[in-house]
Parts: sequence; structure tokens; C-alpha cells
Amino acid sequence: MTHTLNQTPTPMMTMGGRAESQALADEHLAPPPVRASGLRVDFKGQPGVLAGLDWTLAPGQVVGLLGRNGAGKTTLLETLLGLREPQAGEVRLFGQPALAPDDALRARLGYVPQQSALFEDFPAADLLRYFRSFYPRWNDAKVDGLMSRWEIPRERRVSQLSQGQQQRLSIIRALAHEPDLLVLDEPVASLDAAGRRDFLRELVDQVLDRGTTVLFSTHILSDLERVAFNVAFLSRGRIALQAPQDALAEEIRLLSGPVGRLQAAVDAHGGQVLNRRDLGERPRWLVRFPGGQLPASDAALRCEALNLEDLFLELTQ
Amino acid sequence: MEPDLIFSINPGSPEPIYRQLVEQLRRRVASGQLVAGQEIPSVRELAQALAVNPMTVSKAFGLMEAEGLVERRRGLPMVVAAQHQKAMKTRGRVELLRPALEKAAAEAHQLELPPDQVLALFKALLEDKGETR
Repeated sequence: MTHTLNQTPTPMMTMGGRAESQALADEHLAPPPVRASGLRVDFKGQPGVLAGLDWTLAPGQVVGLLGRNGAGKTTLLETLLGLREPQAGEVRLFGQPALAPDDALRARLGYVPQQSALFEDFPAADLLRYFRSFYPRWNDAKVDGLMSRWEIPRERRVSQLSQGQQQRLSIIRALAHEPDLLVLDEPVASLDAAGRRDFLRELVDQVLDRGTTVLFSTHILSDLERVAFNVAFLSRGRIALQAPQDALAEEIRLLSGPVGRLQAAVDAHGGQVLNRRDLGERPRWLVRFPGGQLPASDAALRCEALNLEDLFLELTQ
Repeated sequence: MEPDLIFSINPGSPEPIYRQLVEQLRRRVASGQLVAGQEIPSVRELAQALAVNPMTVSKAFGLMEAEGLVERRRGLPMVVAAQHQKAMKTRGRVELLRPALEKAAAEAHQLELPPDQVLALFKALLEDKGETR
């Protein structure tokens, strides 16, 4: 079980020694599925899409990646997988450089890109047969089962499939070789509610049966809420905050009231201020109280729990 | 009983999913819908039925066990624990609502609402629920 708080010190949040000592402890075990250090990616006219980003994923974690539109989620996922070369920094996947993967490493990775990039002229079944030849392991039973359950016409060309069917086919292709690290970029954008639920069940199965490490971005927070034990917020080119969702729900509160009261509440309960908005009479501070020792609301001080969506909005303003 | 009949998830709630699961079990035991010795779903069954991370489910089960709501048996499904055999009297059951109502009361206070109006709303909600069941 990995209930680890895996955070990166940033201007928004600084951490004690726990994450470091955990990182040291992990070092003695197998190398982590993902370790990124100092990643920097600049686009023309848009410097610091990734601005010195450090990040580690522990084995078996299911992490939901959140960030506003244009925050660089896709860029980050591509860089982590070695599909994009950063201007600085390095990614290691299971200890190997992501930019120079050997066949064994490739077989451990599964990726569902936001835009499915399948060969359009292939019939669905032929496409899967083609990919099958690249991998030492291929779960035919799973592929057949999903093709039937998700009602993908096997003989129809990819270009003739609906968006949703193409997306499902892309997911099947990524699951078929039973990867140890599965990266999904908005995997459910063209699926309806039932399709999404079915996909989430499939993810849960992967985690149960294989302990797969899963990293996915989505804007559908109710999905993320269910399956992501951990969430990470990408903001200003860095992982601004990463923690188990339960810890966020229990430790983070939105305080509003006179500044003096806010400061007193933070001091009295050992809070870390994540974000301040000092507007007019009643400033709002987003505060994390490690250990969940929370101040009580009263007439002057309001202390509110936030759901994931509100937290996301407060954190990324 | 089917896992998704005992448990459900309220997405968008600030309450963590594992706590939602514990509270649901507590309420079902308190109201006598679940009785001592009755099996509850496994982590796998519940994680699959609800499409929820298995670690979240096992965290909920750990807390249920720690609170004496369920018993773990070697190699067998967990069961509702014996000390909860008798359904709580109404008086005890209504106390389970206290945290939710205290929160609502605090908010009503902040909104400076008259108690009559708040009670009328609560009554309407209770009656609505009764009809849709």
C-alpha cells in the first residue's frame, strides 16, 4: 500500500522531511515507474511550459493529473514517456532513460494519447494483430472480451469507426500487452457515461490483477475522484501539489474572515497557506492542516471543506 | 446482497469516498437493514461494482473493522459484527444525523435564515425523499 505523500517543494507548498526520507527508502527497492527531475520544456513564445518539474510515481499508484486547459498536461505526459525531448532535465522509467527505451522497457509501457493515432486504413482486428507482433506478451482473451463488450466491429476500418469506438480501440491496444505503467491522456473524452464507467472498471481490474501504475489526465472530475487514489495539480510548469485525495479532503480548508483571525487560525493549528486571495473585507485563504487538526467555524471565521472541483479552482486561479 | 445495493458513491462530495462507505454501512447496520453475521462484499467485488480504487475500499474496510462494525475471518468474506446485532433504537439512530445537521445549522446561522424557514425546507426534503423511494 502506498499512502505516501509524494510532494515536490514549490513556492506554493514546502514539505518537511517525510517525502525525502520516503524517496530514499524507495531508492533501495526497484526503481520507480516514473522519476522526472528538473524537466524544462519551452515553446516558441511560451517559455516554461514545464519549468524545472520534479516528480516521482511509486509502483501501483493511480494518479489523476489535473491542470487548467493549456497548463501543459499533454506536454508533460509526452515528455514523461520519452516522446518529447525536454530542453533540460531527465526522465527515468523503471530506472531507464525514457529517451532511449529498449524493447523490454517499451513492453512495460502503455499509452492512450488524446488524439488517437491509429492507422486509419486497417480494419480494427488487423490493427490489433499488427501491434501484437511487437510485444512479447499479449492478452488475447482480454482483447477479445473487450472488443465484444465494447462492441467494436472487428472488420470495419478504423477510419469508419466512431470517435468513441476509436478511443475504445486505442484503450484496448494500450491494455493488451499488460503494461506496468499505463499513461492515459483524456482517455474518456468521447465516451458516454456508461462507456466511462466500463472503462473505469477495466482500470480497477488492471490495478487489482497486476498492480499497474496508472497516470491519467481528465477533465471529468467525478471519474478521477473514483479511481485516482492520488491527485497531482500541474500549475505554472510544476507539480504544485500531489497527495492522496483523502488527505486533501481531510486536511485542506478554505478559510474566510478578517486577516487577523485567519492568521491566528493558521498559527494555532500549524496550517500551511496554499493560496491567498485578499479581496476586500473577507479575504479567503486556502490552507492545509497536516494531520487534520482543523479550526472551528464561528460567526467571524468560516472554515469550509471543499470537493475536488472547488479545490481545483481555488488552487489553480 | 449485491455490492452496489449496500454501497453507493456520492461524487462531488467533500466527504472522502472511504468515509462515505463507512457511514453507509453504519447507517444500514443501525437501521437493521444489515444484521450480525451477514456477509459484506470483498474489496474486489466492491471496487469493481463501484469502479472505485481498491485502496480506497480497503481503507474503508480497515476503518469499519477498527470501529467494530465488521469482523474479518480468515479466508472468508467479512461479516457484520455481533455487537451491532440489535438495531439501534430510533433515539440512537437519530444521533447519527447530528454531524450533518450541526453543519447545516452552522450554515443556516451564517446565512442568517430564520429557523422556521430552515425547518420547512428540511421537512420538504424528507417528504420528497419519501415519495421517490
